[in-house]
Amino acid sequence: MKPITRHMSPSEVLKEVRNGDGYFITNTARDMSQSDYKNRILLHTDLMAAPYREDAGYFSLEITGGASVHVDILRKQVDPFLKLELLREKMPNTMFQTLCRGVNLFGYRPYPQNVIRFAVREFAKYVDVWRTFDFMNHIPNMQAVFEEVAKAGKINEPCICFSTGPEHTDEYYVSKVQEILDVTGDEIILCIKNHGGLGTPIRIGNLVNSIKQAYPDLVLHYHGHNTDGNDIGRITAAVLNGAEIVDAADHSFTGFYGPPPILSVIQTLKDYGKEAIGINEEAVIASSDAIRDERAHYAQFEAQIKGFLPTVQIHKLPGGAMGSSLEQAVKGGFLDKMPDILHKELPKVQKELGNWWSVTPGSQILWTTAVSNVMEGERYGNPSGDLKNLLLGKYGPFPFYQPDEWIYEKAFGKNWKETIEQEGGVEEIEDMDIEKERATLTERIGKTPTEQQLVTYLQHPNDAVEFFKFEEKFGQSYVLPPSIFLRQGGFELGETLIFKDHHGQQHMIEVGPAQEGGEGETNIYLNVDHHQRMFEFEAEQVTGTAAVATLSKEEIVDLAKIGDHRAPFAGNVCEISVEIGQEIEAGENIAILEAMKMQTPVISEIAGTVTVISTKIGQALKPGDRILKIDTGEEE
Amino acid sequence: MNTKILVANRGEIAIRIIRAIQELNYEAVAIYETPDKDSRHIRIANEAVWVGHGPRADYLNIDKVIDAALRHDCVAVHPGYGFLAENPAFAKACEDAGLTFIGPSSDVIHNLGNKVIARQIMADAGIPMTPGTKNLSAGDEGLKEAITFAEGHGYPIMLKATAGGGGRGIRRVENDEEMSEQYPIARSEALAAFNDDSVYLEKVIVQPKHVEVQIIADSSGKTVHLGTRDCSIQRRNQKLVEIAPAFHLSPELCDEICQTAIKAAKAAGYTNAGTVEFLLDSDNKYYFMEINTRLQVEHTVSEMVTGIDIVRTQIKLALGKELLFDQDEVEIRGHAIEVRINAEDPRNDFMPEGGKTVSVYRSPGGYGVRLDGFCYQGFTIPEVYDSLLVKLTVFGWSWNETVDRMRRCLTNFVITGPKTTIPFYLNLVDDPDFKKGDFDTSYLETHTHLFEYEEYKSEVNKLANLIAEIHHKGQNTYAA
Repeated sequence: MKPITRHMSPSEVLKEVRNGDGYFITNTARDMSQSDYKNRILLHTDLMAAPYREDAGYFSLEITGGASVHVDILRKQVDPFLKLELLREKMPNTMFQTLCRGVNLFGYRPYPQNVIRFAVREFAKYVDVWRTFDFMNHIPNMQAVFEEVAKAGKINEPCICFSTGPEHTDEYYVSKVQEILDVTGDEIILCIKNHGGLGTPIRIGNLVNSIKQAYPDLVLHYHGHNTDGNDIGRITAAVLNGAEIVDAADHSFTGFYGPPPILSVIQTLKDYGKEAIGINEEAVIASSDAIRDERAHYAQFEAQIKGFLPTVQIHKLPGGAMGSSLEQAVKGGFLDKMPDILHKELPKVQKELGNWWSVTPGSQILWTTAVSNVMEGERYGNPSGDLKNLLLGKYGPFPFYQPDEWIYEKAFGKNWKETIEQEGGVEEIEDMDIEKERATLTERIGKTPTEQQLVTYLQHPNDAVEFFKFEEKFGQSYVLPPSIFLRQGGFELGETLIFKDHHGQQHMIEVGPAQEGGEGETNIYLNVDHHQRMFEFEAEQVTGTAAVATLSKEEIVDLAKIGDHRAPFAGNVCEISVEIGQEIEAGENIAILEAMKMQTPVISEIAGTVTVISTKIGQALKPGDRILKIDTGEEE
Repeated sequence: MNTKILVANRGEIAIRIIRAIQELNYEAVAIYETPDKDSRHIRIANEAVWVGHGPRADYLNIDKVIDAALRHDCVAVHPGYGFLAENPAFAKACEDAGLTFIGPSSDVIHNLGNKVIARQIMADAGIPMTPGTKNLSAGDEGLKEAITFAEGHGYPIMLKATAGGGGRGIRRVENDEEMSEQYPIARSEALAAFNDDSVYLEKVIVQPKHVEVQIIADSSGKTVHLGTRDCSIQRRNQKLVEIAPAFHLSPELCDEICQTAIKAAKAAGYTNAGTVEFLLDSDNKYYFMEINTRLQVEHTVSEMVTGIDIVRTQIKLALGKELLFDQDEVEIRGHAIEVRINAEDPRNDFMPEGGKTVSVYRSPGGYGVRLDGFCYQGFTIPEVYDSLLVKLTVFGWSWNETVDRMRRCLTNFVITGPKTTIPFYLNLVDDPDFKKGDFDTSYLETHTHLFEYEEYKSEVNKLANLIAEIHHKGQNTYAA
């Protein structure tokens, strides 16, 4: 039995897995970070664990993909490619795994084919196993990724997304597997993607069994979440029925909504006579010990509700979205409405919209629709842009049944049938002019970007540019441990911060006094490697919401009716659809705001000329902040 | 009444001269333009005279400077370097106003400032020179002369503006085609820059060393040298690093070059302190380049290895004293290196960093260390003048000791606010070729790794900036 390494070809890997007596384990560090810590586990921590994880003998380390690529640049301020490069230095043999959202790549809506292929090619230089899914299980949405992964000589791991309900039968899933095999051929790993941690052990056991009956040689990888506290039960059933690979994570960091502890999986299955192939248990324990002390610094990112949620079987929210949904409930002040939203409205919306799979970006559509239905008082009264796209079939056909007509009418008005006829169906997204984008990026950052920077930019243009500017200004900040990078409340006077920089050089920074300057500016003194440095911060502008009374919803609507369009909710401006001087009609899109990964258009209430634009792309608006003004010309 | 001397300059060199004047128990009168109102030179001087808003124009205004000297009862004027230092009209104006000009006579400045006259004097005295021409004739005739010269001596050739200097008005030509192209451009540029379109040719010595000799002459004709300096490390013909004595010269060659310098100075009728510049090729052949008729930036290294205060000597000679020492009393001991710490970004083509405030200024000290600067913590560097902040000169018995001392001083130096040339010099002192003393004028072009420091050395400062921000805001808003 050869240990599996990234130096083997896909068919060699598959051969070893098929011949193995036992099962393999994937360490899903990325999914743990996303589900239990809002994706904030820093590269610094992963690098601390890296040598032990390398020794542990995992089938693979799932360390990129999902929302992490975006959060890397948006919050962790680390280049997603540099991250892989540095981890690779410390983990020369372990296969790296990603989670790819098919046509939605690592984002929330479909990308052009040439962008998908370009991104996959660049990431495939580091990523050996490609777990790819589509939230509608619409196989054509994954085609481009399959092809590029195969071309790069890497392992394709297509998913069938799993859920529960009368439509979700073994027959249905077996037929989906066939659909995948028709496209990819047999030399793949098939993933049963149970992102919610749904179903009982026996349900999962039966499903694995049915697929194995139909395709005895097909390698199965079971992916689950421990939201209800019972994923080890499902994992056990999956392995006993023939699944060869399962997912779990380092126990010192396991929480509520992510993967279960690796060691518990090993211990449980051992008594069933199933051996974890290649696993070095001491190294598994050592990985957890190596990073245990870091966990305290991530407490601020743990979910607002502590404890398992067996009610996931009712609301079906995926583990990866639990943290951010709860955070939104706290920020939006509707944590008290959660029982209504989670246990009544969300299951209802799921059924009404087609009982497909609650996973990105579908889970966000279900969640925002349910929240909006409860909070607005009128169900489907304020449909998001993404919900409309879903109803138009832009993400793919509904797998089981279409939503009722009244929902279409709510979304598109009385003439909804015409709208569907004119705009409906999966849209072929035009290829992007990548060279033009490269030129734009060059201009925006003032130097020629690398191919990797271009890939990052093509996925998240504004966030990427902000990140590149951050890097320019602050350097490689991944070297800072969470105790520094994520510190709340500032440092102690005299506190000594020690870290090694990107070049391995150790530095010491001693925190000195802060002094107020003459014009309200603050001077912070730091002893940097024994040299005093002063950092000046200008006085904060006291304006904005503190000075202006918050507008009520009604006031915002009233203002819009006289042409003064304000942000109806908190969100980032992702598009301003009009220009100053432009004549517009009532009901036209004037801007698009994005909140919780959902894009929602702002509609003009009146006809007139755009006279003032008060915001810019990328700006974070609070409810009531100015967007733009439309002048009817009536006053003159 | 005490003797007063006007210092017709600014910045570090004004301070250097003021110190010598005050050590002689005379009084120093400084001048300043408005952008220099916070400069340290006017605080150290005994008196300071505002000459106008400038910038530069008032430091260059002969009438205003003479007027300031006369109104403040000065008997002499020291011009420093730059500004009016090598302007014969200024020396003449001083002479006419009854002020002692601390430097050679206006005639000598005039003759040596004109490249063609200077070359004629040196040729007549038998000083070895790079093959070159007189002023080329106007129009196509001049171009024909140029092509003919090239046939005789080969390319590359320098096309030089007769009235140029300090590295300006020079262009390198590689072949006939370029010559035809560059010749008219050089003429029109020279006309625009120096109001004189005369140009001449000089053969290029490929990758030479720049070796110069400090000379001092009194009015009796007694002329001594203070040994050699090597100023090969330059960017765009501007010196960055100077060492004394020149390295790897045999005693015989060194003596020959110094004697030639004295011969050249005598031929020109030189008085006071000056510098005779030579190019030294890889065959140890040397060629006269020019005589600088002023105190030079790098005079400090000669002072360090000879123990002779050149500025003090200049003043005494100008006031009629004779030289108090003979050539055989001048002894060159040890080594000295001077680096010019400029407010410039070496990685960005030495872009000046004027306008920035020096938030922290901590300088090194100790044995064998000399600082000639004018900036201080809280000082905002004027954008309108040159970017020299401070000259760091170190002395050591052996070359290695001197380089080690330089490294130590650079490490101890803290200047924050503007970018400086310090990190570049930190790379320099670790460069194997520099440590061996192996460098010529092509050094910077062939040692581009000297510019590879920013990511490494300033990485920690970038991170410190982030840490300061996390501290100030109470959280990392980028990670929130």
